[in-house]
Amino acid sequence: MWIINWLPEFLVHLIFLAGILGTIAGFVFGYLPLVNKYKLLIQVISVLILSLGVYLEGGIAEKQKWELRVKELEVKVSEAQAKSAHVNTQIVEKVVTQTNTIKVKGDKVLQYIDREVKVFDNTCTITEAIIKAHNLAALNQLPLDEQK
Amino acid sequence: MINKLLLCATVLVAGCTTVVPVKQKFPEVPQILMEKCEPLSTIDKTSVVFSEFLSTVAVNYTKYHTCAAVVSAWQDWYRDQKKISDDLNK
Repeated sequence: MWIINWLPEFLVHLIFLAGILGTIAGFVFGYLPLVNKYKLLIQVISVLILSLGVYLEGGIAEKQKWELRVKELEVKVSEAQAKSAHVNTQIVEKVVTQTNTIKVKGDKVLQYIDREVKVFDNTCTITEAIIKAHNLAALNQLPLDEQK
Repeated sequence: MINKLLLCATVLVAGCTTVVPVKQKFPEVPQILMEKCEPLSTIDKTSVVFSEFLSTVAVNYTKYHTCAAVVSAWQDWYRDQKKISDDLNK
């Protein structure tokens, strides 16, 4: 409701209170001479004011309910963002550790090759076909005779 | 005059949709996961010794394991972020 956004809350309560008082005055104190003179007018106007007051009070209650939900959601979202950041940190740490371990192990394997496999360099011949097969596999390419 | 006043009053008390001002931001992916896998090494010579050949193969295996670790981290990232998002929308 637009009116609730700029109308001070106390004015809404005032309208509601005026509606109640007017309705009581119109319907209960109708026997009083001053009221009796404008009884119908007071009754009609006060019922209209009371209706507006009830409607606006309902609007305020609804607005407050939504504001509360928004606040709850804001807290939840900020908690989720903190959790999400924590997950990111954990994952980065895990990847960095794993990558370093993989690199260290890879280097050890290369050292092992240098140390233990080099002696077979003269006995094992690597032909051009083997190199070609390796490169094709590394590049995920088809051999020339399969490309047709 | 009364008609105009009634019209104004109706507009003022009319209900309207309110956009909830709370937005869930899509989580940022760690930069380390955005790095592409290194291409596998090839042998750019017509003849190599066995140890050199095997070293290239070993280097490629290391590249594979590094890339697999990143893919695995992506899967963990997705699973964990989805859980956080699902818990939020419960």
